[in-house]
Amino acid sequence: MRRWRSSSLTVRTTIASVTLGIVVAAVAVGLLSAVFAARAAAHREVRAQDLTSATLDVQGLVVDLETGLRGLAITGDTRFLEPWVKARAALPSHLQSFKRLAATEPRQASRARELAGLITAYIEDYSAPLVAIARDQPAAASTPVATAEGKRRIDAIRSRFTTILGQEQSLADRSAADADRQSRRAVIVAIVGLTALSAIVVLFAIYIARSIARPVRQVAGEAQRLAAGDVIVGLTEMGPGEVGELTRAFNSMARQLEARRRELEAQNEQLRDSEHAKSELVSIVSHELRTPLTSMLGFTSLLTRGDLDEEARQRYLEIIAGQGQRLATLLDDFLSVQQLEDGRLELRNDQVELAALLRQQTELYSAHSEAHEIALELEDASLPVVGDEGRLAQVVGNLLSNAIKYSPDGGRVTVVAEHVDGHVLVRVHDEGIGIPDKEQARVFTKFFRGDAAARGIAGSGLGLAFARAVVEAHGGRMDFTSAEGQGTTFEIELPDASAAQSPAQAGSERSNA
Amino acid sequence: MRGFPVVVAAGIVAAAVAGGSSVLFASTGPATVRITAEKEQITSVDTGAKGTSPGDVQVVRQTLYNRHITDKPIGHSEFVCTVTAGRSRLCSGTFFLPKGKLMVSGPLRYRQFYELAIVGGTELYDNAQGSLTITRLSVDPPRSLALFRLVG
Repeated sequence: MRRWRSSSLTVRTTIASVTLGIVVAAVAVGLLSAVFAARAAAHREVRAQDLTSATLDVQGLVVDLETGLRGLAITGDTRFLEPWVKARAALPSHLQSFKRLAATEPRQASRARELAGLITAYIEDYSAPLVAIARDQPAAASTPVATAEGKRRIDAIRSRFTTILGQEQSLADRSAADADRQSRRAVIVAIVGLTALSAIVVLFAIYIARSIARPVRQVAGEAQRLAAGDVIVGLTEMGPGEVGELTRAFNSMARQLEARRRELEAQNEQLRDSEHAKSELVSIVSHELRTPLTSMLGFTSLLTRGDLDEEARQRYLEIIAGQGQRLATLLDDFLSVQQLEDGRLELRNDQVELAALLRQQTELYSAHSEAHEIALELEDASLPVVGDEGRLAQVVGNLLSNAIKYSPDGGRVTVVAEHVDGHVLVRVHDEGIGIPDKEQARVFTKFFRGDAAARGIAGSGLGLAFARAVVEAHGGRMDFTSAEGQGTTFEIELPDASAAQSPAQAGSERSNA
Repeated sequence: MRGFPVVVAAGIVAAAVAGGSSVLFASTGPATVRITAEKEQITSVDTGAKGTSPGDVQVVRQTLYNRHITDKPIGHSEFVCTVTAGRSRLCSGTFFLPKGKLMVSGPLRYRQFYELAIVGGTELYDNAQGSLTITRLSVDPPRSLALFRLVG
C-alpha cells in the first residue's frame, strides 16, 4: 500500500491500463471461447443431421435393393428389379458420402465402415448372385434358405442402421443442448464481462477524478486566486506521484511568491516612506531655508535704498547676519546627522563630567524662557562618562530646547540624573503638549515634526534624530515616554566611565560593526 | 453328375491358412468367415434306374481359396451326395484345411443356394458348430461362395 501511494502517476496509469487490458483480454477470451464452443457444437449438430440424412438415404437404397430382389424372387418378373438396379448404381457414391460424414467421429466411422461392408457383402455375396440365380432358376431364389439368408443379412444391416441413427440422434441432441448451453454461456460471459468492464471503467474514472482531476482542479483554482492577488493558504498535498509533486511544487511556489510579495510590500513601504521623507525633507529644507533667506533678501533690499539712517542700517545688517547664522546652523545640523548616520562623524573620547554639563545647560536654558522653571535633580554629585563633551552638550541642549518649545504654556522642566546599573541615566521631563500616539513611532525620524509647524513651533526636525545618533555613537541608548496633553519624558542612558572602558570607544566599535 | 451342387465351404480356415494367427472357432465364439470354392470336379455314380434316381451318388471335389488373403489355394473339399428324391440330395462333406478338417452335412434341393450344418471338426477345428451357406456366384467357370457362421 505504501509502495502504491508512493508510486508515480505513470506507474499507476500503466498498472491500471494493464489491469484493464487483462480484464478485456480475459473477457474476450471467455467470450470467444464460448462462441467457438457454441459454433463447434452447432457444427456437430449440423454434421449429425447431415449424417442422419445420408444414413437415411443409404437405408432407403438398401430397402430398394431388398424390395426389388424380393419382387423378382417372388414373381420372377424382371420389372420388379428396376429399383434394385437403380439402388445398386447409386449406392457407391452414397456410401462414400456416408462414410466421409461419419469419419469425423471415430466410433461412428467404425460403425459406418462396418455397415458399408455389410451392405457391400449383401450386394456382392447375396443380392447380385441371387438375381442371377433367379433369372436362371427362379425357384432356387425363392427357397426358405435364400429368403432366410436375405432376412438375416438385412436384419444385421437394419440393426446397424438403427444403432447409427440412434447414435447420431443422441449426438445431435447432445450437440444441440451443448450449442444451447454454450450460447447461454456466451451471453452470460458477455453480460458479466461487460458489467465488469463497465465497473472497472467507472472505478477508473472515479479514481482519476479523485486522485488526479480534483487535485489538478484545486491547483488551477489556487493558481487563479494567486493570479488575482489573493493570499494562498496552501494546498493539501495529495494525489499520486506527479500530482502530489505538483501540489507540493505549487505550495512551494505560492510560499515563495508570498514571501516575495511581502518583501516587495516592505520595499514599497520603505520606498513610500523614503519618498515621503524626501518630500518632507524638500519641503522642510525649502521652508527652513526660505524663511531666513526671505528675511535676508528683504532686509538686503531695504539696505539698497539710500534713505535709511545709520541705526536702521545697523539693525538690518544684524538681522541679516542672524539669519545667515541660522542657515549655517541648520546646514551644520543636517550635515552632522548625515555624518553620524554614515559613521563619518568623528567624536572626541574625553572624560566628561556629565553632572557639570547638565548644570551648565540647565542654567543656559533657564535664561531662554521666563515662563518655564527648569529644575536639575542630581542623585549623585559626580556622573563621569567618556565621550565628546560638545556633542553631548548639544544632545542635552536639544532636549531642553524641545521641552521648552513643546510646553508653550510654560511650566516645569525637570532634569534628573543618576547612576543605574553601571550606567548614567538622564531624564528630561516636561509638562507640555505631549506627543500623540500615532506620531510616537516617527519621533526620531529626520525632519519629522508632526503638527509642530502648524502650532507655530520653530525647528528643523533634526534635533532628536541627531541626539539619538550621538547617544548611540557613545554606546548608549535614548528613549521616551509621552502622553498627549500631559507632557513628555526623554531619557538618555550612557555607560558609566568609572565602571567600564571608554563608552565612546564601545559605541564607535558598535557603529562600525 | 455335372452340375451337382457341391459347393464347398471352408471359411473357418482363412486366418489359419494365412499364417496360423487367430482362427475363429467354437472356442472363440460367434464368427463369420467367407471363402470361395472353385475348380469343381464331379464324379457321378448312377445306381438303380437310369438317370437321376434315388440312390445315385455324386462325389464332388473343389479347390478352396480365400482371395482376400492369398491367391493360392488354401485347401480342398470333398463331398458325397446321395439323391433321395427328385432334386433332393443328402450330402456330407469335409473341408481339408491346413490345420485340420471341418465336417458338414445336410440336405439340399437347389445347388444355387443351400445351407448345411457344420457338424464337427478335427485338430484345430475340434467341436466346431454352426451353419454353412453356399451361394453360386457363377456357373462357368463354376465358382461358389461359402459362408461359415460359427456359433458357440
